[in-house]
Amino acid sequence: MKNMFLRQSSRAVGRQELWRLSRRGLSRLAPTATATTTPSTTSSATRPLAPNSRSSALAQQPSTRRQFHATRELQVVKPVLLADIGEGIVECEVIQWFVEPGARVEEFSPLCEVQSDKASVEITSRFAGVVKKLYYDAGEMAKVGKPFVDIDIEGDPENKEAEALTPPEPVSTPEGQQAIKGEAISTSTPQAIAPELKQAFIEAPWAQETPAPSHSPVTKQTGKHASLATPAVRHLAKDLNVDITEITGTGKDGRVLKEDVYKFVQVKASASIPSPSGATPTTPGVSAAAAAASAFSSPAATASGPQTETTVPLTRTQEMMFKSMTRSLTIPHFLYADEVDFTSLVELRARLNKVLSKSGLPEGEVKKLSYLPFVIKAVSMALYKYPVLNARVDLDSNSNGKPSLIMRSQHNIGVAMDTPSGLLVPVVKNVGSLNILSIAAELARLQSLAVTGKLSPQDMSGGTITVSNIGSIGGTYLSPVIVEKEVAILGIGRMRTVPAFSTVPGEEDKILRRQICNFSWSADHRVIDGATMARAADVVRSIVEEPDVMVMHLR
Amino acid sequence: MAALLLRSTTGGIRCLTKGPAFISTTTTTTISSRLGFSRLTKLRRSYSTTISQDLLNKKVQVYQSTSNDPYLNLSIEHHLLQHSHPDSYVLFLYINDPCVVIGRNQNPWLEVNLPALQETEDIKLVRRRSGGGTVFHDHGNVNWSVICPPAVFDRDRHAEMVVRALKDLGVTTAKVNERHDIVIAGDGRGNGKDVFKVSGSAYKLTRLRSLHHGTCLLNSPQLKNIGKFLRSPGEPYIKARGVESVRSPIRNVDVDTQEFNKRVVDEFLAMYEEQFGEDVTVERVGEDLKDMSNIRKGMDELTSIPWIYGQTPQFTFSSRPTEDDPRERPPLDLDVQSDFNIEFTLRHGEIQTANVSGLKYEGPATDKDFYDGMISKALAKGSDDESAVKLYEIKDWAAVLKSATAGQGLKVSDSSLNSLSEWLNKVFPGSHFR
Repeated sequence: MKNMFLRQSSRAVGRQELWRLSRRGLSRLAPTATATTTPSTTSSATRPLAPNSRSSALAQQPSTRRQFHATRELQVVKPVLLADIGEGIVECEVIQWFVEPGARVEEFSPLCEVQSDKASVEITSRFAGVVKKLYYDAGEMAKVGKPFVDIDIEGDPENKEAEALTPPEPVSTPEGQQAIKGEAISTSTPQAIAPELKQAFIEAPWAQETPAPSHSPVTKQTGKHASLATPAVRHLAKDLNVDITEITGTGKDGRVLKEDVYKFVQVKASASIPSPSGATPTTPGVSAAAAAASAFSSPAATASGPQTETTVPLTRTQEMMFKSMTRSLTIPHFLYADEVDFTSLVELRARLNKVLSKSGLPEGEVKKLSYLPFVIKAVSMALYKYPVLNARVDLDSNSNGKPSLIMRSQHNIGVAMDTPSGLLVPVVKNVGSLNILSIAAELARLQSLAVTGKLSPQDMSGGTITVSNIGSIGGTYLSPVIVEKEVAILGIGRMRTVPAFSTVPGEEDKILRRQICNFSWSADHRVIDGATMARAADVVRSIVEEPDVMVMHLR
Repeated sequence: MAALLLRSTTGGIRCLTKGPAFISTTTTTTISSRLGFSRLTKLRRSYSTTISQDLLNKKVQVYQSTSNDPYLNLSIEHHLLQHSHPDSYVLFLYINDPCVVIGRNQNPWLEVNLPALQETEDIKLVRRRSGGGTVFHDHGNVNWSVICPPAVFDRDRHAEMVVRALKDLGVTTAKVNERHDIVIAGDGRGNGKDVFKVSGSAYKLTRLRSLHHGTCLLNSPQLKNIGKFLRSPGEPYIKARGVESVRSPIRNVDVDTQEFNKRVVDEFLAMYEEQFGEDVTVERVGEDLKDMSNIRKGMDELTSIPWIYGQTPQFTFSSRPTEDDPRERPPLDLDVQSDFNIEFTLRHGEIQTANVSGLKYEGPATDKDFYDGMISKALAKGSDDESAVKLYEIKDWAAVLKSATAGQGLKVSDSSLNSLSEWLNKVFPGSHFR
């Protein structure tokens, strides 16, 4: 019950974070300032010191927490002190907690409310992290200047530095270890990789070096923190008159080891100029296959480098696709797929195209028909018989909250197109009133506009059903996603030639060539049942398989 | 249509026009600053049906409430605290209907005479969000509230501002004491011995804003009764954590509320207007603000029983001195055994542990201890159990005690039960809230 009053204030605090805050103002220690103004000195005094604080590179940072193992997050549980709330108050009562152990807090999220005589004070967190322990219950007196909550701090900026050291580690450690092993046998040469690899092909595999770029991250990192080295190594480096910051370390976290120093010296002494890989250790056991592979791979062989992530924002088209498909997620799809025999259509199309090419149409007219106009027309004809496929679902019609179907008179068939800018679905309007030629002309117009990116919003809107001809690129079956505000979509696969038995009576044993194409329908199962879809699909199939049927329906 | 209101620079004018002090068109007023020069400032005084973010971002904001609903006014205050711009200075003035207002962490059974409140029909019980002690509000009491950035927060700063306003009105002995209250001297002698409190303060400090609000007893008609309402019959028996009120003798300042409002606004503007020039707004707000969702939500919280009664920290109630609470108890006149003792510990207004002994039972009094134990257990179901006894739900202790003993095969004697219930009904009356 005490948790019932979690937060208007926390939401308000979150909103207030958007306003400009002057952290300087908050850190001023006015005697009656709010409780969050903990002076940083008191807090850092309680920070645990890491074991190795000798490294000069990290010495500038006040925190000396460093990782020497592969844990991702820094586990530092920090006891947070109750700040002075002024007026000489030494203790105050905790009225209520806004968090519990295990709760995640951000910087500035409210932790608790305390009260001292007349003032009720909201205490917010200085850190982001996870609450580990509450020192007081609600109702108890909390002492000012003593810890009142433990927070497991995550994602400190210093921590990121330490983390930055870890990625190369999986690369360097095995090599480092193997370098130690292979030290005796290694024939480290100062030459560039390619001749090395070529040599390795013939010579002992363990003489190979791994591709250079895998080490360049290591190089960069260790170059920054090059003074990661034990005193013995440093001494050695000094003796040999070598600048330790120039040596790439191969030990844990990029530490410079003795062998690195020796190798570096050899590299320096030798005549040929080493690439950044010059000082790298050899890796025994890298097979010839890897060499072959790296020969194929580009010089920037990130194949063996660490996983890199680059953020690429979505393009306009991708964004639109993202939004649209996310909306389509609410539609329960079912897939209905069927094989359609295109043989007759193929013949018809061949004949028609001959006519078209001979007829000498003026420029700009369609010279050649593809299959798509026929399929689109067939779909439209099926829609006359099953108009429910042309409808859309309205979830909240007429303010009575019940869903309903909105039937639509025109068949506006969207055609999915793959353009240089991505997936676009322009719409062929009123297919019912168009003939094959005009459909083809419209398709051509839309296509040219799509390719140049000049489709108008008019062209893109108003679709009632969609056809996606992925078969032009490839594929047999597909499960297309229904476009928002529609209830069905047809995906057309690739046409292929298959052998089939003749259907001519008396010749059933004869094997013929048939052109087969797969139609994959997806429909909204909230309003379309399987039977309707099957029957409609059958109508389409029969028209496509016997295109002469269209002649019957000519107006 | 502008009217010009001129005011003299020093106090001394006690009888001034009553009635609405603000005209809803542009008014020009002369504001006397303490430095002695007058400035002619054009202030837009208007009535707002909502508090827009625009207003909340102004550097200097003055709001006066036309509503007397204490829950609404406190919600408006809270909304201003949370949503006004972090750099702004806000003054909010409001007058409440008669009500008793307890501090954020106080105990109503300890601080308030709940039976008395129940008898008088129209006095509300309010728990505010800031700390401090219990006060009584009515139409003769003006509440002033200042919200400012934490960097300039000082407990005395705005109390001094109100003192200046009072001095302007002729209350020459007004001053701020070490508890940050405003006091005036007694009957003219001013030797410091007879000081009377006229205003108490409380604070709420958040990360970005500091709120200081206080009362001011100007001309309360109920002055004599205030003490009655703030003395609880349960006080000798209840020991609470949380803040206890500090009693002070009180007195009316004897000044008109509208005049006081005007002066406080003037003083506030004098403090901050110079810095911020044009970025000032003076608004009147009222019942319309109930339509704002934040304020609505705030009111719902403030009027809820769990907030008013349930936000009480743990306390103990015992009829005899205990280790925690060794005070002498006044003698009880109940029809009970001589070793009678009743002890509760309560949290969030629910009985957590109970210990009852020494009731008079009917029939063979063979195993009184056992029966006492049964009652104790029945009363202390604990908060995990739905049927935990919630103090604020009890209409009549007789019923509670009866049900605690029901089905146990024992019966508390009627007179014992009645006398105990009568007493408990005084100490822990049921929910008063209307």
